[in-house]
Amino acid sequence: MSALSERSGTRLEVADLRVTYPGPPPVRAVDGVSFVAAAGECLGILGESGSGKSTLGRAMLGVVAEGQVEGRVQLGDLDLLQLDERALARVRWRRIALAFQSTAALNPVLRVGLQLSEPAQVHLGLNAPEAEARADALLDNVGLGPWAARRYPSELSGGQRRLVLLAMALVCDPEVLILDEPTAGLDPVTRQRVMALLARLAASGSTTLIIISHDADALEALAQRVLVLYRGWVAEVGPARQVLGDPRSPYAWALLNARPTLASVKDLRGIRGDPPDPTEVTPGCPFFGRCHQGAPELCGGARPPLVQPQGENGRREVACVRGGVMTLLCADELRKSYRGGIVAVDSVSLAVRTGEVLGLVGATGAGKSTLGMLLLRLVEPDGGSVQFDGHDLTAARGSELKAIRGRAQLLFQDPYEALSARLTVAEAVREPLDVQDVGDACARSELVRSTLAACRLPHDDAFLSRHTHQLSGGQLQRVALARALVLDPKLLVADEALAMLDPSEQAKMLQLLKHLQVERGMAMVFISHDLSVVLRIADRVMILDQGRAVEEGPGSRILVDPRHPATRALLAAAGRDLLFPPSGASHPELRARSNADPHPFRQMRSTQT
Amino acid sequence: MTVATAGVARPARSHEFRLPRIGWVGVAILLGFATVALVAPALAPYRVGALSGPPLEGPGSAHLLGTNSVGHDLLSQLLSGVRVAMFGAFVAGTGTALVGGAIGLLAGWWGGIVDLVLMRIADVLLVIPRLPLLIVVITYAGTGRGMVALTIALTFWPEAAKVLRVQVLTLRHRTHVTAAMGFGAGAWHSMRRHVLPEVGLVLVAALVAAAGRAVMLQVGLAFLGLDDANRASWGSVMRGALKFQGLFFTRAWVWWLLPPLVAIGLLLAGLTFVGTAVEEWVNPRLARHSIVGRS
Amino acid sequence: MVGLYLLTLLAMVTVVFGLPRALPGDPLVALQDRAGSSAISAETTAHLRSYYALDRPLEYQYRHYLSRLGRGDLGWSISRNVRVTRLIGGHLPWTLLLLGTAFTIAAVLSFLTGVAAAWRRGRPLDRALLVAMTGLRALPPYVLAALLLIVLAVLVPAFPLAGARTPFAAYSSPLGVVGDVGGHLVLPATALSLSLLSTKFLIVRNAMISSLGQDYMVLGRAKGLPVRVLKYRHGGRNALLPFVAAMGAEVGFAVGFSIFVESVFAYPGMGALILRGVETRDYPVLEGAFLVLGALVLILNLGAELVMSRLDPRVAGR
Repeated sequence: MSALSERSGTRLEVADLRVTYPGPPPVRAVDGVSFVAAAGECLGILGESGSGKSTLGRAMLGVVAEGQVEGRVQLGDLDLLQLDERALARVRWRRIALAFQSTAALNPVLRVGLQLSEPAQVHLGLNAPEAEARADALLDNVGLGPWAARRYPSELSGGQRRLVLLAMALVCDPEVLILDEPTAGLDPVTRQRVMALLARLAASGSTTLIIISHDADALEALAQRVLVLYRGWVAEVGPARQVLGDPRSPYAWALLNARPTLASVKDLRGIRGDPPDPTEVTPGCPFFGRCHQGAPELCGGARPPLVQPQGENGRREVACVRGGVMTLLCADELRKSYRGGIVAVDSVSLAVRTGEVLGLVGATGAGKSTLGMLLLRLVEPDGGSVQFDGHDLTAARGSELKAIRGRAQLLFQDPYEALSARLTVAEAVREPLDVQDVGDACARSELVRSTLAACRLPHDDAFLSRHTHQLSGGQLQRVALARALVLDPKLLVADEALAMLDPSEQAKMLQLLKHLQVERGMAMVFISHDLSVVLRIADRVMILDQGRAVEEGPGSRILVDPRHPATRALLAAAGRDLLFPPSGASHPELRARSNADPHPFRQMRSTQT
Repeated sequence: MTVATAGVARPARSHEFRLPRIGWVGVAILLGFATVALVAPALAPYRVGALSGPPLEGPGSAHLLGTNSVGHDLLSQLLSGVRVAMFGAFVAGTGTALVGGAIGLLAGWWGGIVDLVLMRIADVLLVIPRLPLLIVVITYAGTGRGMVALTIALTFWPEAAKVLRVQVLTLRHRTHVTAAMGFGAGAWHSMRRHVLPEVGLVLVAALVAAAGRAVMLQVGLAFLGLDDANRASWGSVMRGALKFQGLFFTRAWVWWLLPPLVAIGLLLAGLTFVGTAVEEWVNPRLARHSIVGRS
Repeated sequence: MVGLYLLTLLAMVTVVFGLPRALPGDPLVALQDRAGSSAISAETTAHLRSYYALDRPLEYQYRHYLSRLGRGDLGWSISRNVRVTRLIGGHLPWTLLLLGTAFTIAAVLSFLTGVAAAWRRGRPLDRALLVAMTGLRALPPYVLAALLLIVLAVLVPAFPLAGARTPFAAYSSPLGVVGDVGGHLVLPATALSLSLLSTKFLIVRNAMISSLGQDYMVLGRAKGLPVRVLKYRHGGRNALLPFVAAMGAEVGFAVGFSIFVESVFAYPGMGALILRGVETRDYPVLEGAFLVLGALVLILNLGAELVMSRLDPRVAGR
């Protein structure tokens, strides 16, 4: 509309909304969703396909065909689900409208103009010419022009039909506007136009916008708050910047971690496992089967309530009994000097979350290896402390320390040195089990074989009885990996683990490491001097220079927008200048996003006490 | 031309099939008629053409269904009509389904020019008013019941052919058929092994539908006077009754006109029941849709 | 599409031309034998032979036949010795009246009931309609007609038994004519429309049901449109396409059905003409009737085709 009215949008509250499609077997598409969209707010709902987001949009208007809808949808002072069909029909479109995603929502045998103008005639009492004029103006507004009104839907392109659906949702100037995937499948130009239109709408505040999308970038640009939906259930909700930039619920974290960006050099991995069967309603957390930090006794019992994430007190809430993605390892002000006054590590603080890969990069002598040893307390620090999985590692003694060691493993650079040449493969891999006294002999040998198989090594008797010096470098490093993984650790510190390998073996090892890290849901600290390798595997990168942490951020940001001279030097060494000429300014949009990047590590540290 | 097409048959596993109850009712009716048709000569109290009593005699012990205006025994005529109708249902119905099925298989399997020509012929036949055509052809070709059945089959095959063709077309492009041809199976092998078992039920449905139509046509043609003068049929009984000027001034219509009507209705009901039941097998259930909201 | 109709027309003409000639022997002899009359003189035979050009080669006969048809000459009735076109001219209007009335009633009723049944799918109304329509579909038109005759003309003598108008009636006003013709029309038209109802009902119902599941219906509901608009403009409009297509396809059947119905009610339309033609084996009359009815069906089909292209932008675009 050329002149949006002066009113502000209307508050929409959804409480415990459930939608069940009758079977057999019945499918619970929306499973107890609650949220509030404040008047004039722009709320984003992020979800993958099959998350129930389209059903949720339709349920808010009460147009779920055949589905049973329970709960409350409160529009202003009206409870929509209590209204009968006639009363609901008067509210629909005039007060709450939905821009459909599917272009099959346009009636193929009616002209676009008629379909656009008919709600205006029904709800606003306009006569036909007035309604048509309004439709024409709207078509103009979305960038199509009045010519489109005379066309049949089949005479328009897919993108044009989407614009028509958008215009149609605006025709009665609704107080609440729900948009179902407004940007999906659009060409870049049309997408840009839609985004601009929505941004204008959101800025005017006259309409409460609810944008349902799987497009996190669009939500980041438009929404003030974002709700993450998984299997019809709210996994996380909070300010858009926090939820999208630093997701804390295990699902949102895993989802957004798999999101590609223009500067993604990381090997993207989907969320492990498959979405659960929608016909099975389990009592526990819906994400439990795929979560990297799930525990049956904690997560299997009941739907987790929305709580503030562990160590945070903002407006964000996550549905996780463990308080969201936990901090597995937290180092505070670690210091280490060697004899002769050489400061190897100088007040480094860092945090690693469960399931996360932190890359530690620095030139030779930057203190990377020392830091890695400090993190596992294989070297005693001069100062500072390390917390691991709720235990104070620096203070642990005896059996406590031994238990912690079982859950945090180190993978060394040189397998020839790390593995005794006197041991057979079987003995080498079984050694940690013997030390930690896990299971009986039979279970141990079974575990050895399965771990070797997981590391893509042979596991027949012949291989098991080989001595390590009979193996190739790549095989040996994988045996070392199997040895590190046989205890199923929560954290793996890999110190230059690929440095000795030729490029082909390196590539294989890199993929194997990432694969095992995701499938086993373990966290990893990946130490290397080679940024190009680290950027492939790490979710977050920390640059060390002369014992100090000088820069930290997502790999894509580090690559595009390096801030510290040491970082630039490392990037130059890795050949970045070929990719981005040093003189050229970085892409404004990426810069904008990188500025929006919170520094999770600092936040965590400040709240961690 | 738009053509009604049945849905693609579900992958068939014989143990899944359970005939709905209405189908069993239909089967019982058809079996009843078949039995009567077999033993009709023994049951009939008089020869069809025999002047067995006074004209227009009401139902009684001598003539259970009375006599017509000439004095023919109507029960005997009706029983003869059962044979004629069952012959029509069986021979003309099967003939129609076989001709249609064969043409549909051929067109669907070979495609190309064969398909084009056959389907053009089918379209022409579907457009033409076929009852007048049938009348013209039969007046020339003769009214023997075999000839009538043949003419019906040659005129009414397109329905079955269209349905079968669509089935075969979809099947032909399913992967397992392509795969079979990929490892060298010939057309005959694929047809016998993969196509015929799948379209069997569709063919049965087409057969039942064709049988119903054949009865309707055969009786109807007899009603118009196109029948074998030596065999009484339901159609000829009706024609005789309606041609008799005084039919409705007496109660004669009750035993003369009504019984053949009831007989046709019953036979067609039986066929419809079986047909409905078979359709339910063949067609996947229409997706349940309702937009009527909560009330 | 027009090509198909031309092809069909040619096929019909060729069948009519070919049938008598395909049978063994002289068509005229066959004609004589079948008609059972030996009173055709040698002179007449010779005249007929030259009239039908039977003494010329087949190819010439065919061209001759086509040009005769082109002039509107359908030949002479054997039994009544008048031009076939004149006989048809006397009978066709009654058939058109009957067919037109029945077809219109059936169309309107089947569409309304089909939409209503689909809208209330699975509810009592739908079930009742389904059972009734299945029953109607099973019954042949002549059975329906005879039952109607018995119930509404004999048991309850509300309508006349037979004919299209009261014989020898003297009408006091034009309105009287309309009333008489209308009264005679009720039962045949009802019987015929009942026979034509069920197929179209089922097609509308199925089309409407699949239409109801479409997203545009959900959108229509979301737009808060009144039920009437939703049901007819959005759903019904889409069901109209298969409906019109079905009507086109059914015209041929309707013509056949009307022959049966006319026979039951002794209605003086094309059915009566055909019936007498069958009785007297009057081949030219039967052939002429077939060709005229065929042409009628083709024209109506073409009409349905045109309506469909107007209705569906997707068809029109092709």
